[in-house]
Amino acid sequence: MTPYSSQINTLMIPQVKKPDVVFQGWHGYTCDLEPEWLDDVQKNGELFYLELSEGEEAAALAQAAANHGLSTNHVRFSEKEAEIISNESRKLPDGAPTKGEPKLKRLARILRRKRRPSQSRGPDGGGEDSSSRPVSILKNQAGQRVGVMVQQLKEVFLYLNPKRLGSCSPPPPERGGLLEALLGVVHRPSWGRGQGDPTGRREERITVHGLVPNSPAVKCAQILIGDNLVAVDDVDVTTENIERVLSCIPGPTQVKLTLETASPGGPGEGGVDMSSAPRLRPSPSVSQLVRLLWGEDTVELQMSIGHIPHIVMYLSLKLDSDSPLEEQEILYQYPVSEASSQLKGVRGIFLTLSDMLENVTGGQIVSSSLLLSKQLVHVGYWKESNNLLVIALPAERVPLLYLQTVVGGAVRTLKVMHGSLDSAFCEADHAPRLDHFFCLFFQQLIQPSRLSDSSGATPPDLSETLFLDGLPAVRWLPLPPEIKMQVDTVLSDFESSDFGEMSEDFYGVRRLYVTLGSCLFYKGYLIANHLPKEDLLDVSLYCQHYCLLPLASEQRVGQLVIWREVFPHHCSQIHQTKKYQNKTNNNHCTMPGYCQPKGRYFLLIVGLRHFMQCVLLEAGGCAAPATGAPGPDCVYVDQVKATLLQLEELDVGMEEHLAAPPAPCLSCADWFLPSFARDRLDTLASSSPVLCKLAGGVKPPSSDQGGGKVVGRSLFGGGARRPHPKRSQSDSGSEGQSDGGVGRPTGLSPHSTPDSARKLVGQRDSLGSGGSDGSRGSGSIFKIPRMKHPNPFYLGTLKKSLTERETEEKNNTMKLTSGAENTLFHYVLMEKVQGIFIAPTHRELSQLSGSIHPQLIRNFHHCCLSIRAAFQRSLPPRGRPGTDRPQGTHGLGPVKEHGVLFQCKPENWTDQRKPAPTMTYWVIGRMLLEPVPQEFYVCFHDSVAEVPVEMAFRLSFGLAL
Amino acid sequence: MMLQQAGSVQLLCLTANSGVPLFTRGASKQLPFSIIGSLNGVHMFGAGQGVVLAGCETDRGGRMVWRVFQDSVMLIAVSSGGQAQQEGGGAGEDLHLRRLLENVWNCMVLVLGQDELASLRNVERLKRDLRSCYRLIDQLLEGGQGQEGTMGDLTHCADCLLPPNATLLQEGLDGFTQAADSEFGCLMVHGRIATATEKWWRLAPQEVVLLSVLARSLSLSGSASCDTPVFLPQGSPTVAHRLLRFQLLPGADVCVLCGPSPTLHRAESELVGCFWSPLLEALRSSLAVGERCLPGSVTLRPDVLALLLINRESRRSVSYVKAIITNPNHPPSDHPLPSKARCWELLRLFYTFTTTRYFPLEETPALTPGEKAQRGDSLREDFSLGFSHQPLQCYLVTEECKCFGLQTTQHQLYLLTPLSVPTFALRSVATQTLSAITLATGF
Repeated sequence: MTPYSSQINTLMIPQVKKPDVVFQGWHGYTCDLEPEWLDDVQKNGELFYLELSEGEEAAALAQAAANHGLSTNHVRFSEKEAEIISNESRKLPDGAPTKGEPKLKRLARILRRKRRPSQSRGPDGGGEDSSSRPVSILKNQAGQRVGVMVQQLKEVFLYLNPKRLGSCSPPPPERGGLLEALLGVVHRPSWGRGQGDPTGRREERITVHGLVPNSPAVKCAQILIGDNLVAVDDVDVTTENIERVLSCIPGPTQVKLTLETASPGGPGEGGVDMSSAPRLRPSPSVSQLVRLLWGEDTVELQMSIGHIPHIVMYLSLKLDSDSPLEEQEILYQYPVSEASSQLKGVRGIFLTLSDMLENVTGGQIVSSSLLLSKQLVHVGYWKESNNLLVIALPAERVPLLYLQTVVGGAVRTLKVMHGSLDSAFCEADHAPRLDHFFCLFFQQLIQPSRLSDSSGATPPDLSETLFLDGLPAVRWLPLPPEIKMQVDTVLSDFESSDFGEMSEDFYGVRRLYVTLGSCLFYKGYLIANHLPKEDLLDVSLYCQHYCLLPLASEQRVGQLVIWREVFPHHCSQIHQTKKYQNKTNNNHCTMPGYCQPKGRYFLLIVGLRHFMQCVLLEAGGCAAPATGAPGPDCVYVDQVKATLLQLEELDVGMEEHLAAPPAPCLSCADWFLPSFARDRLDTLASSSPVLCKLAGGVKPPSSDQGGGKVVGRSLFGGGARRPHPKRSQSDSGSEGQSDGGVGRPTGLSPHSTPDSARKLVGQRDSLGSGGSDGSRGSGSIFKIPRMKHPNPFYLGTLKKSLTERETEEKNNTMKLTSGAENTLFHYVLMEKVQGIFIAPTHRELSQLSGSIHPQLIRNFHHCCLSIRAAFQRSLPPRGRPGTDRPQGTHGLGPVKEHGVLFQCKPENWTDQRKPAPTMTYWVIGRMLLEPVPQEFYVCFHDSVAEVPVEMAFRLSFGLAL
Repeated sequence: MMLQQAGSVQLLCLTANSGVPLFTRGASKQLPFSIIGSLNGVHMFGAGQGVVLAGCETDRGGRMVWRVFQDSVMLIAVSSGGQAQQEGGGAGEDLHLRRLLENVWNCMVLVLGQDELASLRNVERLKRDLRSCYRLIDQLLEGGQGQEGTMGDLTHCADCLLPPNATLLQEGLDGFTQAADSEFGCLMVHGRIATATEKWWRLAPQEVVLLSVLARSLSLSGSASCDTPVFLPQGSPTVAHRLLRFQLLPGADVCVLCGPSPTLHRAESELVGCFWSPLLEALRSSLAVGERCLPGSVTLRPDVLALLLINRESRRSVSYVKAIITNPNHPPSDHPLPSKARCWELLRLFYTFTTTRYFPLEETPALTPGEKAQRGDSLREDFSLGFSHQPLQCYLVTEECKCFGLQTTQHQLYLLTPLSVPTFALRSVATQTLSAITLATGF
């Protein structure tokens, strides 16, 4: 049996298991396997539940705790506490660790579930939980801690924002007052006697009897049930004065709480929780993103960019001058900072301009530029009905050329999430969620470095993010057909909704949802898509704005469940045209035959480790119509989970594919600079016997470009080939002869494989420098003929079944550029029909280290912004398809192809006598309409004249997109 | 409703503080006063809040640009959309409007002097006086759409014509200028500078361009000679000089910038004949160069439709558009060549496209950021600053033609070729053209 078929066998196993999983989920109320996310479901049925896998979470929290620990007197204590909470969802601080979950709570949950059928949860998701939940989980029960309790004082810093309380009047003291509303600390006077009489309350200590979910107190993870609140900002507080003290907090600020707490006395104590708290692997920025997604740290992050002018406002164009209210035209704004208040102050400009420009020039305003205290700010506009969305961003972050795309993306996401801008902004209870959305939006644009991981890979450059996110496409990872087929089969199985005995046939009820389609991401790359293009774009925009794709690629997600109603773009469009048609000819059925059912759509995203599956569900139509705000249904969630578990078997294969050398070989820019190549060569040659030989076959570097190139290329083309020792044997056997006995003549593939390059670079780094030059020989090693059939597929799991030789060939064959040498640096190919694009993976890029190359990539993306902006112009202006654009008589006309030649010099060139060596390269963009609409962006060395059309063809053909 | 004609550019001039309209030019149908007032008010409101409004654009390529000069005069340019993305680049390419405002202001200074504009003592009188600028301003508004096809107003590099016998003319001009008690002299052929004295080239590039525009408009008036007071916007914005212009031959004019002497009459009767009559032949041969601007010794490849060559050091430019001979017998091909006027337009658009994105804009040497802010340059986003490596060349393939731009330390060349030229050959066409011109003329 080949390894491949055994692979399939292992795949089958979870499939067999599947019904079990479902069974448990279906009968959630009879057994105690209740999904952890259930308590996070919002009143309107929405769910955003994120849980890191154990390792990640522990690391993140240890880090978080360490950060907080700086301000705490007892570091050890807080660390421990963080660990305890981490076992449960972060949002359930008063929930105990899963292991030690008290029976009472479970029972309560089960009872609650019994009250209503699992399938149609009412709108009462988890809102009332804070009060109804039994507050029995005191700290002493939480951990299995015994031993002496020592009363200690600790200081906790919290960000409080009284404005978040909204317009509603301060909560009455009977309901916990500000203590509960602002801080999130539940204190029941005379606990046990029920509601105390507030007037007759005597002064007593404030003991934390409970914590409100999602409140600052919970999020800091340091306030524990059972603690006593002693002081706020060094002001001693009691039940008597706490409300007064808290009401003095004017705006968003940080307060210091002093708490008296009981902590374990002995150092050797701690049990399981303690020992498993790893403080290793500090990953601050990882947790930063996650914490932001959890809705934490928003204030802090927002404050750190407070000085940068940026704002989003939703303004009403209908001005009611009679109304005495000031600022009543502002329907929504974010954030509140000094720089943004200045922008808010000039909202009159935005309103006037949008009104006037239409009159004067007959077009709608899309952007304007302002100079705000010496900083250029671009303002993007989006008008919908009688309201105006205004987004201001600093020019140094978002070039004007791309502002429209950025604004358009945000608008489309909001529309997908809420149906229309009006419904997104005009409902008061959306405000916190919008704040969160725009916090992520601005953070991604203004300080992306804080969000990205700092481990290893360079943080994505802003131009790159702008460009790639702005493409109407999703990043695609081409997989070998075998894996692809398996993935597709698994997805199709899921989509068929044939859940065995759980199916509707079995119970004879109408199904709740019809699966319209789903798509699957692995580490942020799309690997399978069964959604129509527009839906795919909707989903990917949502994922983009919530940073879900980088999340999955950077860390293993323990569990991610997102559920929300969506309003897919195409539906709203159809709706609009229908409305229009109805208006015009008053004919209700304009389209004979099939009619899009008037259903409701729901997006379910489930993430597990590096996989993430997005499912679009339809209610109504042939499924049961949805009523109210249905929450996520366990069956569907479990089903997706089962699918993902099934796919996990493919993890290895995909990982291998990601690690494989890039399908079209890439070169590193540094190899083309003579000096660099030479340095590297010398270093390598002197310290490695293998490489000495190699260097012997290399031409001396000469000052002209050609010579330098040859050196670099030959070196890296010929480096230590593949990590496989077995393979290298076969290499020398099969290829070596032609080179007349150079011991390890592998350099023979005329194009460089970054894989080998990476190895070499790695070696160089560890080997240190040496002095002697390699002796210079002839360039005979370049004469080896190129390998034949380009097969871009790295065969992943199939590999073992092939002979080493064959695999070797296939790995090295795809070359995009013409000529003997590989001059390709980077590429992006977008396929517009399917809405996908391919580009070298991050891993491939990190393999091509070097100092110039990252610069080059940055430059490439920046240039692509400009090129794509030029292409965009060829398309009809937004919102008015088929406008009377005069045929090619104005402007430059539609641009088909655009290229820019760049010159780069190494930085810090100190040699005064010689001019710095230079390297020139093209960045070319090409728009193709035939045979399929594509946009192709490529970056290659100047030495060979390329025809981008051909390259695009070669690439897309080879990848069989 | 659309108040402005499609495709037109309208210029509004108001006093910056009080918002009194001084004049509007450029559109057949004026904007209503209320609109003008609110356009000004928007900017003023922003200024009160510490926000300087620079410009805005619409989805149809309409644009609006504001700028205040000397805290006294506000200029607003409104280019209407309708002709989708007229600027040729979608977002961010309002270069030509910005240049227009700058030129108009300079032009007002040129005619009236800075003092009168800055002080605003008598608005009614200023309004009357400004009428004398209208002809120049209108010419600027026409931009490249005028017959001559000059690009100096956009590039701020003087349009030149390279005469076949440059040294002869140079000597003649030097002698004539000296005799006229001046160091600033210039010979214009077909509205372009054929040769000028060294001092003339030392004037600020905007001034050289503006004086060319002035001389062109004076020569269009058809008079044989004239004597005009001019303020130099950079050199002497408050003290007027005299610009003497004499027509030597139809299409050939000589200009001298001088002090109180000599009188126009003396110069005309004594100096012109004496210095220029021996050079009549040379002048005629320069005139024969015509709009090609390049001497016959330069052979251009046949596939060059149009070109603009800028000398970055001397801030001079040569532009050329091939006369297209339409062969009536020849059946029209799939890709008809763009007309001559369209070529000029494309050249301007391509220049704008390239300089706003890749090549640095030619500016007067080294401005400090402060000066830049003062001149309103910081109101523009510099996209090219975002590049970590230097752009050297670029090309565009559109539906009408192919454009190629390249820059060296000394030159910038912008080239249009027909679609029939293969893309990979563009580069060699450009480099060959560049070397052909520079070698033959030393430009």
